[in-house]
Amino acid sequence: MLIKKKQGLLQPYYLLEIISGLWITLRKMLFDKKVTIQFPEERRVYSDRYRGMHYIKAVNGVENCTACMLCPTVCPAECIHIEAGERSDKEKYPIKFEIDVLRCCFCGMCEEACPKDAIKLSSIYEMSQADRTVFDKGFLLDQRGNK
Amino acid sequence: MPSCTIDGIKVEFRDGDNLVEAAKRAGISVPVFCYHPGLSVVAQCRMCAVDVEKMPKIQTACSTKAVEGMVVSTKTDRVKQARESVMEFLLVNHPLDCPICDKSGECDLQDHSYDHGSAYQRSTEERRTYVDLDMGPVIKKNMNRCIHCTRCIRFGDEVANIREMVAIHRGNNVDITTVDGKALETDYAGNYADICPTGSLTLKDFRFNKRVWYLKKTPTVCEGCSRGCNMEIHEERNQIYRCLPRENMEINRYWLCDEGRFNYKYIHHPDRVLSPQVQEGNSWAKKDWFETMASWKSGFRSKDAVFLVGTDLTQEELQLILHFAKSEMGGVPVFHFGTPNLPAANGDGDSDGLLKRKSKTSNLHGAEKLGIAPFQTLPAGKTQVVVFRGGRAELPRLDRSLKVTGFGVFLQEEIGQFSAVFPGASFAEKTGTVVNFQGKEQTLVRAILPVGESKLLSEALMLWKNQSLASGAA
Ligand code: SF4
Ligand code: SF4
Ligand code: SF4
Ligand code: FES
Repeated sequence: MLIKKKQGLLQPYYLLEIISGLWITLRKMLFDKKVTIQFPEERRVYSDRYRGMHYIKAVNGVENCTACMLCPTVCPAECIHIEAGERSDKEKYPIKFEIDVLRCCFCGMCEEACPKDAIKLSSIYEMSQADRTVFDKGFLLDQRGNK
Repeated sequence: MPSCTIDGIKVEFRDGDNLVEAAKRAGISVPVFCYHPGLSVVAQCRMCAVDVEKMPKIQTACSTKAVEGMVVSTKTDRVKQARESVMEFLLVNHPLDCPICDKSGECDLQDHSYDHGSAYQRSTEERRTYVDLDMGPVIKKNMNRCIHCTRCIRFGDEVANIREMVAIHRGNNVDITTVDGKALETDYAGNYADICPTGSLTLKDFRFNKRVWYLKKTPTVCEGCSRGCNMEIHEERNQIYRCLPRENMEINRYWLCDEGRFNYKYIHHPDRVLSPQVQEGNSWAKKDWFETMASWKSGFRSKDAVFLVGTDLTQEELQLILHFAKSEMGGVPVFHFGTPNLPAANGDGDSDGLLKRKSKTSNLHGAEKLGIAPFQTLPAGKTQVVVFRGGRAELPRLDRSLKVTGFGVFLQEEIGQFSAVFPGASFAEKTGTVVNFQGKEQTLVRAILPVGESKLLSEALMLWKNQSLASGAA
């Protein structure tokens, strides 16, 4: 059985409420400060501590990383793959350094574990890609112009 | 048994046990560097300091014999202080190398520093450095990391019977090196890397391949010779990275020879036959198991055939082949092969007075126990030979006119005269029993899954008999 609710006194005149609601929209649109930005042209500034895309730090063109494997060991997403090798100017260096960024959860543990200050998370946050991307060593070294 | 008290725990010990061993029985580990149970005691690192009641000074546990009624404490303040000082002293010259050091993760220096050392360093002086000479194909040297425990020197002297490591110069300038800077000569060089408590001596073969904490360890037995040394296979993701000795006082004590240590290499050899193959004309065709088996079987006549079994197979496999030859094939003769010029177990003997035996396969004594005769010449009228082999037994020379088929582990270059090969499992890929020269039965334990399309012998024979892997199927 349908229970008919009794209407309140002002309820039949709901048009008033609609008008006041529309006024809020209009006011925000015309007079308040905007919260969205025109993305590729305009960019937000993030805190320095923001954890975005990784990069490998290099000093005088030599990567800091010594392939100690502490970052793949600590990484909870198991997305870092390193192969170690030897060359004349560096006893141990990564021949291969790959990060499967789609699996990364940007926890920053790799940065924390690194004894050589080599792997860092930058504040770059635009990472959308059309295919599954594995960032290799060359790419990671190029990031941020290696600051 | 006499007993003493260590940290309030009453422990029984054997006469002659030192305090390190006695403490081990009580489940207390005393940190040591220079002491190794398989070597003489020199008491020179001073890390193993303990307090003994009624003795005025702290004692080195490795050189103090346990005595009835002794009361020992390993946790007093002055013991802790002594250990911390020893650690600090050793680390004055030790580089902060752990990120690139292969020992990291299983390093005594690292562990003891963590447990007993201080997290701070007071010295600011430049560290002592060395230039390292090459030590041959097995060992990579890095003397900057050395703590001069002299274990390596004593190993060569007392175990490997060759004086090749020496300490030259004195005091702070001590340099551990080979005599005249020559390469190592012993066949037991891998043990240098095992006993070195730091990363000064590491395996070249394992260099930078894997961090040790990733490796999974399987206790098994070496198949290199009829001694059957106990060893551990270290593996990750079905790939073997190294083999280390496992203590067994009755067989190999703490050691392993290089031949056995690196014997696993053939398992991941790029030329290993990993799928069934048939020789067609002069080339090899890779086919699937069912197809190959069906076509090969149609050309097989059991009355013309002989089975040759390698003495690197396990007892279970040999028994299976004997049974198969008798009941399924109507009495095909079975012979064993393995080490050339060593047909019978009574010819087996020590080959270097240390570990290595003359028989270069693990199960010659087991094959003989099962009553299998050695292969000398082919019985008259036989034209087909089926070779079963684990991977190490040396293939006998066979006449070119014979039709030869192989079951087991082969490298491509070994199968030139074969007409078909069915890939099998090596010693690391199966579980089974082998009998060593003392008659001891030991178990091989599967460490990795068979690589490629290799199948266990039981599966291959099942397929041979039934054309199916389900038992009883027609
Ligand atoms: S940020 Fe976290 S999840 Fe991403 S690579 Fe580093 S450790 Fe792995
Ligand atoms: S933790 Fe640092 S030094 Fe070690 S492998 Fe990762 S990036 Fe390289
Ligand atoms: S090389 Fe290793 S075993 Fe030899 S003295 Fe140095 S630390 Fe000890
Ligand atoms: S272990 Fe006792 S002094 Fe070195």
